[in-house]
Amino acid sequence: MNDPDLKALTGLCAKCGTCRTVCTLYPERKAEIAVARGKIALIEAAMGGEDGDAEAVQEALTDCLLCGRCERACPNQVLVEEIVMKGRADLAEEVGIPAWKRVLFGKVMTSPAATGIARKAAAAAQRLLPGKIPTASGLNYRFPDGLGGEGRTVPKLPAAGFLESLGNAEAATGEVMLFVGCVFDHVFPEVGRAAYETVKASGKSVAVFRDAACCGLPAMVSGDRRSAAECAEANVRRLRDADPGAIVFPCGSCLLMFKRNVFSLMPKGSPGYDDAVFVAERAVDYASFLLSSGVLDRIPDPPPGQEVGEIGYHDPCHLSGTLGKGPEARKVLSRTVGPAFAEMAGADLCCGYGGTFNVRDYPTSSRIGENKVTVAARGGTKVISTACSGCVLQMRDMAARTDPGLRVVHVAELVHQALFRK
Amino acid sequence: MHTEALSALGDLFGDRLRTSLETRICYSFGATRKTFLPDAVVYPVNAEEVRRTVLLANLHRFPVVPRGAGSGFSGGSLPVRGGVVLSTERMDRIVSIDTENLYAIVEPGVVNGTLKEEARKKGLFYPPDPASLKFSTLGGNIAECAGGMCAVKYGVTRDYVLALEAVLGTGELIRTGVATVKGVVGYDLTRMLVGSEGTLGIVTRATLRLIPLPEAATTLLALFDGNRRSVEAVNAIVAARVTPSAMELMDRTAIDCVQALMPVPLPEGTGSALLLEVDGPEGQVVREADLLTEVCRAHGALEVRRASDAGGRDELWKLRRSISPSLLRVAPVKLNEDIVVPRSRLADMFAFLSDLSARKNVRIVNFGHAGDGNIHVNIMISGEDADETRRADEAVGEVFRKTVEMGGTISGEHGVGISKAPFLEMEVGPLGVAVMKRLKECFDPNGILNPGKIFLEESAVRE
Ligand SMILES: Cc1cc2nc3c(=O)[nH]c(=O)nc-3n(C[C@H](O)[C@H](O)[C@H](O)COP(=O)(O)OP(=O)(O)OC[C@H]3O[C@@H](n4cnc5c(N)ncnc54)[C@H](O)[C@@H]3O)c2cc1C
Ligand code: SF4
Ligand code: SF4
Repeated sequence: MNDPDLKALTGLCAKCGTCRTVCTLYPERKAEIAVARGKIALIEAAMGGEDGDAEAVQEALTDCLLCGRCERACPNQVLVEEIVMKGRADLAEEVGIPAWKRVLFGKVMTSPAATGIARKAAAAAQRLLPGKIPTASGLNYRFPDGLGGEGRTVPKLPAAGFLESLGNAEAATGEVMLFVGCVFDHVFPEVGRAAYETVKASGKSVAVFRDAACCGLPAMVSGDRRSAAECAEANVRRLRDADPGAIVFPCGSCLLMFKRNVFSLMPKGSPGYDDAVFVAERAVDYASFLLSSGVLDRIPDPPPGQEVGEIGYHDPCHLSGTLGKGPEARKVLSRTVGPAFAEMAGADLCCGYGGTFNVRDYPTSSRIGENKVTVAARGGTKVISTACSGCVLQMRDMAARTDPGLRVVHVAELVHQALFRK
Repeated sequence: MHTEALSALGDLFGDRLRTSLETRICYSFGATRKTFLPDAVVYPVNAEEVRRTVLLANLHRFPVVPRGAGSGFSGGSLPVRGGVVLSTERMDRIVSIDTENLYAIVEPGVVNGTLKEEARKKGLFYPPDPASLKFSTLGGNIAECAGGMCAVKYGVTRDYVLALEAVLGTGELIRTGVATVKGVVGYDLTRMLVGSEGTLGIVTRATLRLIPLPEAATTLLALFDGNRRSVEAVNAIVAARVTPSAMELMDRTAIDCVQALMPVPLPEGTGSALLLEVDGPEGQVVREADLLTEVCRAHGALEVRRASDAGGRDELWKLRRSISPSLLRVAPVKLNEDIVVPRSRLADMFAFLSDLSARKNVRIVNFGHAGDGNIHVNIMISGEDADETRRADEAVGEVFRKTVEMGGTISGEHGVGISKAPFLEMEVGPLGVAVMKRLKECFDPNGILNPGKIFLEESAVRE
């Protein structure tokens, strides 16, 4: 392993240990190998020519939720997420993709649509599950074996995705572009629709981004930088062509991809860089858009029948943490449901989803997730709202496992309810 | 290590014995830039497992190196002679907090900040506050006798250790001290273990003194044109009989460093800064803060800022807290020393350092706990220029000599470990070293515990 970029990134780590205290995974593992500093030491050793077992190092790097808590606490601003993703990618070249992931890659990357990811993904897609998820979708990373396994409660896939439900001419062009994302299109189309209709309520013309390739994050975190880059390049090129004034993301992880990660895949000087900058400048989270759009002024009084403080907000790691967009959603909620919204116990605890981590180690992922929702419920929350697809997937599953009375919704669903209440 | 020893450890620990290269790499470092691979890592969960590990070590003659969070600055947790790293991270329970007798009983792997937080919930306070409090363990704090910002008012770790349970180098489990404030029966073995850097015993449980939580606190940031005036202000504050709970001094070298990388707005001509904090009953805090402001102004402060709410205080701490992260961006290698001189000699020491930096042509960044005379001297080098490294090493030697000459100590809180072993005798003298070695003999006759630390020669486990 020899990667000068990686060397520069890891070189900043002083091995102080701050990351150990904040790591989501550390309480589960109680071993250095699980935390950022340990992973960095392993990468450094591999780069220093230590003859280790590359698969074991890959395994260690994979044991990470990419929640970024370490990175935000790090006094030396070490870019841990980038290091872990790059390390995974470098090792993937050396030892191939870890065995447990081969299944996923087999399905997504070697299908005829694999290269098609970068092209008209949705149209070219063949169907994997009967009539359900296009092959090129990032969802295949999330549900490798057709959604099953290990006592997981699986969302019932609706007959039609959100995009499918739109008429051909509907939302084709507009000054605001909505980037729905795989999950809110195919798994929870009601969220896609709520986001669409509430954004439209701003009075601006809204286009739904239909040529979307997967945002690329699932491929990127899996160490498959090439596919991730193909997705990113295709997306930014098409978004640039569409020339929207703003691009609204209901999902925080998709947003992170276009705000930040894209520049790791398409650094300054690479062909699509200008397009990536164009997109990053216009990319905005759902809550921030609502606040600036005047939509909230049209919400009548807070809806009746809600208990004071029964609605909470879960901070998605990428959105609240990495991108610092925590206050915005809270403002939206206060204006939408009034006193029914209150700060939730453990709001900033990671939900434990971690993208592919949930697939790799469901038992650990669900222990972290169950703890998350249990802390919230004990604090009196009955409805957990959030704004990231992974968090919605995970917490709906966790709520089903622990407390059927607990509801998990996207902020857009609450706004939709309030705006269009009869 | 012999396979026999490893298999015996395997019987004891099951899958809590790890020998994979990957895990060993993860326990090969501390917060120094040095690495040494252990042969194995064990994760005991109770004192009995620690005791049996040390017994096995005596039988098979392998080193045992206790390790908390590995945040030490002197290489204390590095397995320089290989052997077994004994990680205390799974002995991390707060056993009890006694609100009547004001003490806590903890396992060694509890993080300092966790105890602070739990004590706070009960209206109590565990004062020792190394800057590493969010991650360093109490076992590591005890073994290094960690200090911190509030030492000037509240003292250091040793002032809060009432009693210990520890496994000696022989494998015997000893209980020292009592849970009461007073206690003078026999030699003070508790103090003997505090600061012994894991070379005399492995702490498996500690009884720590707590005090009532102060009611209020206020932070002040006073900006001066240079060290002369700020040090004068420090002396005047002490003379005014106010004891701040923090008195942090930042030299021009440190201010420049922060300003270049993560600037904080400061008045023109700022060449030295004092961060002061007072805590206690509300009314007293206000009075003392007024007095400190006055004293600083009288000694030529360009500006004095003040805050009592959490947000504002945090803002004032920013300058101090930005030093460490900005240092790493100045040069990749820092030789980080933590000397202490009598407070009255602080200004002389700063002048000496500035002259030394020019003479040796190396960048030196200074800041520290002015209230107790503790200065962090950071010599910044590239690590790639042999001549520069030599000049820096010479500078370290000169700093230490000057420190001892002024009646100070070469390490206020980081310990000897491997980095200061060559200078031990310079400070404590040959007899001091000899008596320390005799003590080591009593506690650990076979040299099992953390070999290669503190003393230069005494380096290997006895065959
Ligand atoms: C950013 C940063 C800031 C710091 N600031 C300060 C500061 O302000 N003041 C200060 O004093 N220090 C400071 N330190 C140094 C360090 O945090 C302290 O020395 C701390 O006490 C070490 O605790 P640890 O748990 O990391 O122990 P480790 O580094 O793991 O071990 C330190 C020593 O203790 C021994 N040890 C560990 N556990 C036990 C045990 N149970 N029984 C016996 N021996 C044991 C080890 O063998 C080793 O010799 C700082 C370090 C960092 C990285
Ligand atoms: S907090 Fe940052 S510098 Fe410290 S050990 Fe972790 S990654 Fe390294
Ligand atoms: S990203 Fe999260 S899980 Fe991964 S090392 Fe950092 S804190 Fe731990």
